[in-house]
Amino acid sequence: MEKKVREPGAPPVQFALLDDILNLARANSLWPMTFGLACCAIEMMAAGASRFDLDRLGAGVFRPSPRQSDVMIVAGTIAKKMAPAIQMLWDQMPDPKWCIAMGNCAISGGPFQYEEQYAIVPGAHLIVPVDIVIPGCPPRPEALIQGLLALEDKITRGEGRNVLRRFKRVSGGVN
Amino acid sequence: MDELEKIEADDRVYSLNLGPQHPSTHGVLRILLDLDGEYIVKCDPVIGYGHRGHEKMGENRQYKQFLPNTSRMDYLSGLLYNHGFVLAVEKLAGIKVPERAKYIRVIASELNRISSHLLWFGTYLLDIGGITPFLYAFDDREHILDTLDTITGSRLTYSYCRFGGVTRDIDSKFIDMTRAFLKRMESRWADYEALVSKNVIFIHRTRDVGVIDVNLARQYGVTGPNLRACGVAFDVRRSEPYEVYDRFDFEIPTGTRGDALDRYDVRFREMQQSCRIIEQALEQLPEGEFLTPKVPQKLSPPKGEVYTAFESARGLTAYYLVSDGSPAPYRCHIRVPSFGNLNVLNDVLPGTMVADAIAILGSIDVVIPEIDR
Amino acid sequence: MRIKDIESRMQNKFPDSPLKGDDTGVTGAKWSISVPISGIRDAAMEFDAAGFFLESITALDFQDTFELVYHFNCYEPGSRVTVRMLCGHDQVPPTICDIFRSAGWLEREVHEFFGIKFSGNEDLRPLLLPEDADYHPLRKTFGRVGAYHKREVIYG
Repeated sequence: MEKKVREPGAPPVQFALLDDILNLARANSLWPMTFGLACCAIEMMAAGASRFDLDRLGAGVFRPSPRQSDVMIVAGTIAKKMAPAIQMLWDQMPDPKWCIAMGNCAISGGPFQYEEQYAIVPGAHLIVPVDIVIPGCPPRPEALIQGLLALEDKITRGEGRNVLRRFKRVSGGVN
Repeated sequence: MDELEKIEADDRVYSLNLGPQHPSTHGVLRILLDLDGEYIVKCDPVIGYGHRGHEKMGENRQYKQFLPNTSRMDYLSGLLYNHGFVLAVEKLAGIKVPERAKYIRVIASELNRISSHLLWFGTYLLDIGGITPFLYAFDDREHILDTLDTITGSRLTYSYCRFGGVTRDIDSKFIDMTRAFLKRMESRWADYEALVSKNVIFIHRTRDVGVIDVNLARQYGVTGPNLRACGVAFDVRRSEPYEVYDRFDFEIPTGTRGDALDRYDVRFREMQQSCRIIEQALEQLPEGEFLTPKVPQKLSPPKGEVYTAFESARGLTAYYLVSDGSPAPYRCHIRVPSFGNLNVLNDVLPGTMVADAIAILGSIDVVIPEIDR
Repeated sequence: MRIKDIESRMQNKFPDSPLKGDDTGVTGAKWSISVPISGIRDAAMEFDAAGFFLESITALDFQDTFELVYHFNCYEPGSRVTVRMLCGHDQVPPTICDIFRSAGWLEREVHEFFGIKFSGNEDLRPLLLPEDADYHPLRKTFGRVGAYHKREVIYG
């Protein structure tokens, strides 16, 4: 899996762990759950719509049912009343599954977190395990795309191993 | 025997829990439906899944610190809410606003209104099964967001207005982009009409569905396009003109039947009227200041109260602020239009079918975090 | 003009309560009237008969009393009217949810935020807060107590 392009003379067959291949498939066909909580959901929709077109990354198949999806994008403020529902949705998703906390509210309560706040859960990590956080209020669709790319790298365990990666990061990487 | 029949009749009714995570409920609305077969017998919307405590936050912070909150209530027309809040505080504190700033606010607000209606247009048709209009509408919407981005620096949750004006003046680039957008939309309206308004499937799906009559609308305090679809030409921009709305020539579109198709029609024509307003505002745009200098950072308005109504994309919205003379309001209440617009479902949904419920819910255009505040 | 109509109706109904006009336009209402707790249903019925709709119900929490503020409006320009009602911390005002159907939800909201019960409203479940919420967040005694005044401090 190290070499991306077969060099002349090299054998046409390469060996890899089945897990690696499956992870590649998983990473490049993420099915997010259609699930918006607040403002960030609109940017999530915008990311899926004409200009930003998440389908390029294989992540544009928004599923209305948690049974069919493998990434949950927590997009918006988690109200205390909503938290049990989010937990239930997470439990309903089949493994392997990942979670993206999109926006400041889902990361830490964002602008709504202050001493006497009574209505919200400050952070998605308090109710579900979060893999990727995307800051912004709300994050722009480009940020969501970067977040999804980072998640793909996480699933394939490194940018270099994601042979289908279509975008080069300008500097640095998570290897 | 009678008892057995009664039990059987009770058994026929079963409950359906729609939401809070449901792709057609636009956010986190939950509706408990009692069904008899396909027909809805009783409807009980459960709200509060997006409650963030805006009103308590308003009491806890200074006037200026509450500005970012305003656009996060109704995030689809955030600028209008932002605009309304500064109107209220300016009235309370007696701050003068330069003419140019008023025009800029109107232009930006109307652009935001179009973007909100366009999003509704796309998602409503997505709800009832058409995917293409969603992509078209978002394409147009991105142009508005780009235009507003140049002056506000934000795509969705704007904090553009300040007490006494706006943060940044508009330049020729903004004006050119706005003009280009208006020109683009001229041909788009015809496209949309051919694609959707004249689509026979769409018409059959929405005509005579979810009829709200004038009396029901009055009972529930329905406002905005939903009310105008019943034939009442009530628009805050006309009935209590704020800023410079009394200087523009625009129509208030109304319907006749009060059904989902009329609500679609009213919003569709409202977008065109907003374009007319922007055009006139760009022509009349005066030179001058865009922000009153020397507005104190820490405002302490005199004791008293203010109730300022304005027309958001969903209807009559109002801020009710009570000042005790300190830098933070004593009470900050927000009257939201979607509250009444959603409440009316209690009477509209019973008797309709489940598939129609989605068409009706989409047509009244609610934003849940706005209701929940 | 419905506003003239309701003006005479209210003056007949509540001869002791003067209509407080507002010329500055700051309060957003043509005039306001203070009614006693027992009079709110009569007032609401008059507004209903005159073709008004209920715009909002909200409450103010003062040290000595609650004040309920009802905003009524009709579809004619500049016809907003405020009805104010003082309600002691232990008093129970009557509901108007059978007169204006929108009042049902608005009263539920006031009940959960302030703990004001409305007699006659059967359905006072929390609306925006979780179903089992037993706190009233918009009371000034909830959380850190900031400004908590007597009514006369603001309204004189």
